[in-house]
Parts: sequence; C-alpha cells; structure tokens
Amino acid sequence: MRILVLALRRIAWMPPTLLGLIAIVFTISRIIPADPARVIAGENASPAQVEALRQKFGLDLPLMQQFMRYLRDIVNGDLGISLYSQRPVVEDLLGRLAATFELAIAAMCLAIMIGVPLGVVSALHRNRWLDQVIRLATMAGLAMAAFWLAILLQLFFSMTLGVTPVQGRIDGWGPDQITGFYTIDALINGDGETFGKALRYLILPTATLAIPAAATIVRFTRAGVLNALSSNFVFYQTAMGLPRRTIIWKYILRSAFIGTLTQIGLVFGNLLAGAVVIETVFSWPGLGLFAYNSILQSDYNAIMAFTLFTGSVFIVVNLLIDIAQTLLDPRTR
Amino acid sequence: MTGKFPPLTINRRAALAGLSATGLVGMHSPAFAARQKFVTANNNPYDLLDPHQLFDIGRIAVRLNMYDALTRWVDNPPRLENWLIEKVTISPDGKVYTFVIKQNVKFHDGTVMTSADVVYSMERILALKKGAYGLFKDVIEPGTTKALDPRTVQFTLTKPFAVFMAVLSELWVVNSALVKKNEKNGDWGADWLSKSEAGSGGYALRRYDPAIGFQTARFEGHFAGWGKNPIDDAEFRGVLETATRVLGVMKGEFNTTDGYLPAEQMARMKENPNIKTWEAESIRTFYFIINHWKAPLNDVNMRKAVCYAFDYDGFNNKILSGTVVRNNGIIPNPMWGAPKDLQGYTYDLDKAKYHLSQVKNVRPLQIGAMAGYPQSEQAAQMLQAGCAKIGLEVKIVSEPYTTIAPKLNDRERAHDLIPLWRSAYFADPHNWTGFLFNSSNFDAGNASYYKNPRVDELCNKALIITDQDQRRVMYEEVSRILVEDAAGIFINNTKFHGAFTKNVKSIRFCPIGDAQDVRWIEMQG
Repeated sequence: MRILVLALRRIAWMPPTLLGLIAIVFTISRIIPADPARVIAGENASPAQVEALRQKFGLDLPLMQQFMRYLRDIVNGDLGISLYSQRPVVEDLLGRLAATFELAIAAMCLAIMIGVPLGVVSALHRNRWLDQVIRLATMAGLAMAAFWLAILLQLFFSMTLGVTPVQGRIDGWGPDQITGFYTIDALINGDGETFGKALRYLILPTATLAIPAAATIVRFTRAGVLNALSSNFVFYQTAMGLPRRTIIWKYILRSAFIGTLTQIGLVFGNLLAGAVVIETVFSWPGLGLFAYNSILQSDYNAIMAFTLFTGSVFIVVNLLIDIAQTLLDPRTR
Repeated sequence: MTGKFPPLTINRRAALAGLSATGLVGMHSPAFAARQKFVTANNNPYDLLDPHQLFDIGRIAVRLNMYDALTRWVDNPPRLENWLIEKVTISPDGKVYTFVIKQNVKFHDGTVMTSADVVYSMERILALKKGAYGLFKDVIEPGTTKALDPRTVQFTLTKPFAVFMAVLSELWVVNSALVKKNEKNGDWGADWLSKSEAGSGGYALRRYDPAIGFQTARFEGHFAGWGKNPIDDAEFRGVLETATRVLGVMKGEFNTTDGYLPAEQMARMKENPNIKTWEAESIRTFYFIINHWKAPLNDVNMRKAVCYAFDYDGFNNKILSGTVVRNNGIIPNPMWGAPKDLQGYTYDLDKAKYHLSQVKNVRPLQIGAMAGYPQSEQAAQMLQAGCAKIGLEVKIVSEPYTTIAPKLNDRERAHDLIPLWRSAYFADPHNWTGFLFNSSNFDAGNASYYKNPRVDELCNKALIITDQDQRRVMYEEVSRILVEDAAGIFINNTKFHGAFTKNVKSIRFCPIGDAQDVRWIEMQG
C-alpha cells in the first residue's frame, strides 16, 4: 500500500516537472538567434518565401502564444511536425526508440556486470594495490571524453584487429521488426547469423557508453560496501560465525546496493544523454543521432520532443528505482 | 552481401508494384547473391525524400537516382543534356518553351510518363514553395503550364529567361497519378512523398529509414538504358561524423563518401592501399561576402585593403595543402564566362596599408565564420592576422550556419565579412553573378548588398539573350568589374577529391551531383 502511495505521489509530480522542463527548453530554443524558416527555405529563397514558412510553422507568433499553442498540442498528443522531414515528430522518435533502448540497456547491463563486482572487490581490498588499480581505472573511465574513447576503440578493434565494424547497427537493414531490438528480433526469428552480426555491431558503442557508467557504479558500490563493512550488523554476523562469503554477497551487497541503485537511475539518464555523442560517432540510428541532427538544423519541434521524451524516461526510470529501493530497504516503507 | 533481403517496410505497396512491373521482385531469389552493391556514406542525413522539397547538394542522390528531369547535367565542365526531352521549340520572344518528351518513359510502377506529369510537377513546386521554387517563382505563374497532348508540354514564361533550360534540371517529374492518390488535405502528397518515391529514375526505392538512409535497386526499364556493368543495388547512408565515414571507406564498409573532406582526412585516404582517389576541379568557389551596406565597407578603398590583406597562397597551398585552386573571380575557373586573363588580388600589405590610409572613420570589422566548417574558420583567422599587420582590428564570431543564414539576407544584422562557398545548382554564370550581385536580388541572394548599375544592366541583359557567346562576353565583363570593385574576397575554387574503394572501376564526375549519380559508376568483382 505504501508503495502504491509512493508511486502515485511520484506520478503526481510528473506533470509539473515536465512543464518546467518544457518551459526551460522551449525558451532556450526560441531565444537563440537561429532562423529555421530561413534554413529550410534555402539560400535561394526570397523573403516572401521565408515569411510564408515562418507563418506556416507559427514562428511569427509572440513567444507566449507559441508556447501555449505547443502545450495545447502536447495535451492532444501532438508533438508537432518536424521542420525538416515534414513528418510528425512522434513518428520520427518512435522509429529510433528501439535502437537507443537496445544500446542503453546493453550498456547498462554491461556497466552493472562490471561495476558491481569491481566495486565490491575494490572495497574488500581497501587501500591495497588492487584497490588502487581499480580506483585509477575508474578515474580514467570517468575522465575520458566519450568521442575520444569511441575513436580509439574504432581504430584498435575495427581498423587494427578488424574484429568489429566501424559503424552502423547492422550490415544492410536488419531483421524483420517485432520488438525493434535487432538482437531479440533475430532470436525470435531463429536467425543466428543476424543475431551474431547484431551483437558485433553492438560491441563498440556499448563498451564506449558502459565504461564511464561502470566507473560510476564501481565508486558507489565501493563506498556502499565500505560503509556496510563498518556497520554493527556485519560485526554481529562475523561474531556469529557466518561464512565471510555469505556476509559479503548476501548482507553487505544488499545493503550497499541500495545506494548504488539510486545511482543506476541517474546513470541511465546519463546514458541517454551520452547517446547523442556515441550514436553520432558510430552512426547508430537512434534518438541521440536524431537529437544531434535536430540541433544542427534548429529543428525546434524535434529538439523539444527529444528533450520531453528523455525527460519523461528519466522520470519514469527514477520512479521505478524508488519503488525498487522501497522493496529492497524495509526502512523506507 | 547475401541474397537474403529483408522485407519492404515503408513503401511496400508502391515498391512492390514497381518491382513487379520491372521484374525486380525476382531478386529475392538466391540467384541474386552476386548482385553488385554500391554503398555511399553521406555527410548529410536523408531525412526527406520529396524531390520538390529538397534543393541541396548534400541530399542530391535522392533526386539524381530516383527521379528524372527534363534536362540533366553531365561531365566536367558540366554539359546540359536534353534528358527527358525529344524536341524543344522556343518562341522568338524567348517566352514560350514547347517540349516533346521522349516516348515510353516509364515510372517505377510501370505507368508511362505523360506531359500531365510534367505539368503536375511544376504546379507542385509552385504550390509547395520549397526546394527549387526560387528558380521558377519569378518566371512561371501557377496554372500557365499546359499539356498540349500526352507528350507535349508548354511553359509560358512571364519574361525571357536565358537559363530556363538550365534550371529545368531541377524540375523532377513525379508520377502524378500515384502522388494524387496519396494526397491528404490538399498537401500535394507532401507527407507521403517525404518517405516514399514516385519517380522514373535509374534506381527504385526498396527501403527507407530516415535514421539510416535509403536502399535502391536498379530499374531495368529505365528509358536511357544501361551500360555493360551497372550497379544493381545502391545504398545511401547518412553518416554525420567525418572520421567514421573515412574509417568506413578504409575498411570497405562504404564504397565512397563525400568529395570535400578536410585535407588531413584526404591524405589518410590517399595513403591507404585499398582506396583509389579521383581529383577534379569543381565549380564551387570559396569567397568572403563583404557587406557593402555598412560603412566603412561601402568604401572601395576599405574593401581593397582587406582584399590585399588576405594571404591567398598561404591559405590555398599551406593550410589547405594545395587541395584547391586559386580562383581570381567569383565565377569558377572551368566555367564559361570566367575570364582566363583575370587578375585577382595578391597578398600585398603595402598596398593594403595604402588603401586603408585612404579610408575615413575606420572601425573594427567583424567576421562571421561558420562554426563546424574548418575552412571557414581558418580563412577568418588568416584574414584577421593579415588585417592585424596593417593595423586593422578584426573580431571573429563563429556561429553555426543556422545562425548565419538569417543574417545573410538582413543588411543591418549581417556580419561585415562571411567566408563561405557558393555551390553550383545549375552550371550557368548567372548562378555566381546575377544571383549574388544583381541589386534586384537584395534580401534574397545578393547578401553583399553590392550595387553597380553596369553589373545590373549586364546581368539583366544576359538573362534575356540566349546566345552563349554574347552572354560569355557580358559575364566576363561582370567578373572584371566585381574584382575592380573588390565586391568580395575571391579565394579559391574547390577540387573534388573522391575517395572510392579499389573495386570501383570508373566514375563520371559532374560538379552538379558530385559523382552521386550511380548510373555512371562501374565496379569490378
């Protein structure tokens, strides 16, 4: 019951949070001195032609009127028409959703699989050489610029070793769409060859996204485990003669993971934001590439829709994390 | 490439109809395992397929490969071919053009192209007011284009327009019946055609994903026929990151990419044994727009001072490593109308100082460089350095093109100087002279706000007469006047540096299209 109340309370906060988000992004996108109507019309266009486009897209209206119009459309489920593709933005977003989610989820899984064990190991070997090496590696992971890391990985794995493709999501056009996740669709279709190909294309972008995320998870897991190690319940369980392995993996990790879980919610948001760079470098046809392109073209509606969408995902993921945290930690109920 | 093709998605119905009409559906069989496939990595996304909404070189592959126009540019220097036209008649006053279109030109769904399709295409451009609309708006009124019989179409211009045949290369003919069937709320089928095709071009759309690009298959029934060893499948992918495109070609994931890469990337490609490069002088001039509207640049001495303060040799040969060619005027060297003996400015600080000393009320100048275009930013820095040596302060503001573009046609907000390219949309000197420097084009194409009655007179006259030799003389005079007036800082003409995988045997380069017309490409193995 408490979980339901918590969820409802969080959901009730969603509209004002999103409204604030829309207001900020809308204002920023409209006050920058770019003129999408001029860019769409092209350099050979006359002023009348530009003005006609401006009127068509409502860009000639006062800012507040444009904002109210936009809000009204959102309530009606209309995120507008892309100024460039001339298609509903929702259509363009949905077409790219699966690619980004497949990448982000793969990166998240990889980051957790690397980050949590390394965090535990680092804490258990506190201040010894293994801990120092892991801490150094996590600092490097956090400090490296994503685009630089991406190019390094491309040069080494694709060009020198030749084991991974340089870019793209698959050779050709991918399997028949069911979920939109190429790996899963290939498995459903029983197409092992395509599954293998999809995995090969996933490796580099996933690794690039996962490395900084894993570094964050290592640091928080390590801090959580260290905190738990010095707590009374561990002292008590040790005195009771419980095996060290049981204490670590059953009690300490559970306690430490509560803090890490909150971070995972934030990290997932960062993965979506980080996808803008990674998808551009790897030409991964997802939301990040869409956002990058929309920014270059001053496609207001597309930028707003992307921000709104990722904001909503971020809020939902954090809601789920809160619920999971409540389930894991009885003190919060 | 295996013989297994994924099923069609967006354009399933239209493509299936077209493919069955041409026998292309058979390619699902394993017999097609050895089809020649050519993959292009483009620096622009293919977010739109409508040929009447597109008008840029970046996405020209859509138009060139899936559509046909009445005329077409080929080779270098560009030559205008009567493409869909069998016969043309021009009235003595140069205002009525009557065309007979070729027999048995078929669209991808098997429908025969008629003059009604040409009429519909022109009306569509005029109604949508996008893409190539700017080329036709001043000379063709809606409703005046007539289909005289199924193969004869007549255009009545509001005034003589010597470049009409040249700009017809942007009148891409769509299958009117198919588009009309997909019209919604009087949108001229804009929504549908943004993700489908209704063309007759050499390649028919098979799959389209705005996030990736588009895939086409050769249209066996194309009216122009095919050579001995044509490409069977052509794929066009939008890959925004330059380094990724270069690595992709080096690894063989793509067969080619854009031909205007930065010098250091081109050097990498040239060193790679798996790549062959083609070099050709293009018709894309790089110059500084000078804003003549605001003092002190309305003074010819001030303009000459900045022209003499730019290190042309240093920029073209050192910074750009000789990947471009010095172009003394605005018309590209290979283009007719560019005087062969034209004397341009040189880097001469003494002369620059002299002209600066003749200017009253000198103020610091501002250059609007295009962020993300290294050449534009480097040229700005080079001019800044030269001006500093003559005691002229110059400030550089780097802005994305989307920010610079609106200022181009706003005389008060425009930067003093803007380094940028003038690409070729049609190969006629008007593209570089009348369009850019005729005062009737203020706030539209003349972003310099340059005005010279003699230039206006010559440009206007050259648009009325059709004799090329007479026009050549006029444009040569315009070129000389523009240099004498220091109307802009004319720096170089771009070279096309095409990088292709070794198995590409031949290409047929035309600056209008940048070798993206796949029908002319041959591969081996």
